Amino acid sequence: MAEDLADDVLRVENVSKRFGAVTALRDINLHLRKGEVLGLLGDNGAGKSTLMKIIAGFQNADSGRIVVKGEEVTFRDVDHARSLGIDCVYQDLALVNELDVVQNMFLKRELVSRPVPLLARRKMRRLTREALDQIGINIPRLDVPVARLSGGQRQAIAVARTVTSEADIILLDEPLAAMGAKEGAMILDLVQKLREEGNVSIIMIAHNYVHVLQSCDRVNLIQGGQITFDKPTPETSVEELNEIVVEEYRRARRAAHAD
Amino acid sequence: MTTDVDTPRPERQTGGSRAGSSLRRLLTLREGSIVVVTILAIVYFSVLNEHFMTTANLKNLLPYFAPFAILAVGEVMLMVAGEIDLSIGSVYLFTPFMFYEFHELGLSLVICLVASLLCAGAVGMLNGFLTAVVGISSFIVTLGTLLGVGGLTLIISNAAPVDMPGAEVTSKTVQVTHVVNGHKITLPEQVNSVGGFARVFGAGVYSELFWALLVVVVMHVVLTRSRWGMYTIAVGGNRHGAAEAGIKVRRIMIRNFILCAVLAGFVGILEATRASTVTPDTAGAAETMFRAVSAAVIGGTLLAGGEGTVIGALFGALFLGVLRDGLTLEGVSADYLDFILGIAILLAMCINVYVGRVRKGSGHG
Repeated sequence: MAEDLADDVLRVENVSKRFGAVTALRDINLHLRKGEVLGLLGDNGAGKSTLMKIIAGFQNADSGRIVVKGEEVTFRDVDHARSLGIDCVYQDLALVNELDVVQNMFLKRELVSRPVPLLARRKMRRLTREALDQIGINIPRLDVPVARLSGGQRQAIAVARTVTSEADIILLDEPLAAMGAKEGAMILDLVQKLREEGNVSIIMIAHNYVHVLQSCDRVNLIQGGQITFDKPTPETSVEELNEIVVEEYRRARRAAHAD
Repeated sequence: MTTDVDTPRPERQTGGSRAGSSLRRLLTLREGSIVVVTILAIVYFSVLNEHFMTTANLKNLLPYFAPFAILAVGEVMLMVAGEIDLSIGSVYLFTPFMFYEFHELGLSLVICLVASLLCAGAVGMLNGFLTAVVGISSFIVTLGTLLGVGGLTLIISNAAPVDMPGAEVTSKTVQVTHVVNGHKITLPEQVNSVGGFARVFGAGVYSELFWALLVVVVMHVVLTRSRWGMYTIAVGGNRHGAAEAGIKVRRIMIRNFILCAVLAGFVGILEATRASTVTPDTAGAAETMFRAVSAAVIGGTLLAGGEGTVIGALFGALFLGVLRDGLTLEGVSADYLDFILGIAILLAMCINVYVGRVRKGSGHG
């Protein structure tokens, strides 16, 4: 058990978050081991995205502790979380339609010249091309606004942006949402590659049980703002996960009928 | 798979003459259409009136456009961030009065300039705070400060005009010798001059043009080549996404409000110094604001945010200046002037929208 603790790059302890009358997270506990891919399942509104935003420093928790690489931290902002190696691909991608591919790739991580801090566009373009090639994404022109790209290409840019950053704790909030089968496979391959290399730890939110069992080392299920299920993927199955979620639905329906 | 060998370059497909393709390339720029429309207006008035393309008239034209170019640039930085500042009209009026008040305290001209621009910046900071932190729409906030700061100007000035410190015209009489029909005649002549401060800040013939071009060049680089510009576009284009990416959205908004107000205050001082006097005319101040906003919009900056151009604002202001000057030169009566200006603005915007569509279809950014 002590060994487990030391292996955790991230621990979320008793974190709660309310939005007015709505409780998004209720004393939630979650941990992420070094080099593992943790799949996070849960219905819409279960609190998955809120948890991601808190871990990424975008929102503050009302109570609870967050421990990153053994140190308890209170994030000041997104930059603070990023400086500790945490970066998130948000569900809405956080891309700026009016900026081009290169500018979006380097948003908030721009390279600038010295002594006059102007954007080092040529260098950023070269690095963008290299990063996209490495991942295997084909985007012919890097100087077009990302508004012109397909949903899959946009998603790919958002993922590439985080994967090629310095981050070693990567949060993927439904990275397959806007993707076709082919592009989705590319993202899963990328996650697989990162998993084999073992340098980064990943939390991936997904809805597809098959994808989660395929790409993750461990599965957590969020229900009503709490983790209700935590098992290594080899010990569970699509059937079991399905059973838990369906059971929750049945319980909720019985409760509704009872009223 | 990851190469782009197969992608055809659009330039190669356009046959046409060289001039045709340059024009097409110009039109693919966001500010391209207003540049073309402005050139057309200049050509039109040059052909129509031989006096248009004279040095004397071009000097007349300068105050019709240079101050508005500077105001419009500030407005562009705000509109790209998805906000608007209506209060620039009042800040433009308020700042020279503060300049006067500071001078009354016995401060030097340069200190007065800095102090009064700080006052302008304070109004911008208030606008920014109420918009970005409190969360009131900038249209409402700056409508409030337009009235409030205008009223404040009336109070501190007692609704009376003042002479602009440093812009006093000193006249001296010198004896000038002329040769007329072989005879030497010496006559007294009056020579007017203003101080060095005034010549730099508004009173010099090319002073306002110099400041306008300087502001345009600097802010064009800021908007297109700096972090600040990129964040401004991000804040206007996708505010939530910008925040998720870690951009300090509020800080950017407040900074742009301050910039806009300081530029407005600066123009106020330039204009007051040029005229050597300043009248607390709040109605005129509001009109100044509308013209600046028009220049920014005609230049190709969207009110919706995310897209805009500083160069376009310069040409938008130039277009309005050329129109006003050209029509005046033609002897169009003052009653008709605004009517014709209004129609011309609508026409220019229609061309802008049409060219914008062509541009979006062309595959250029």
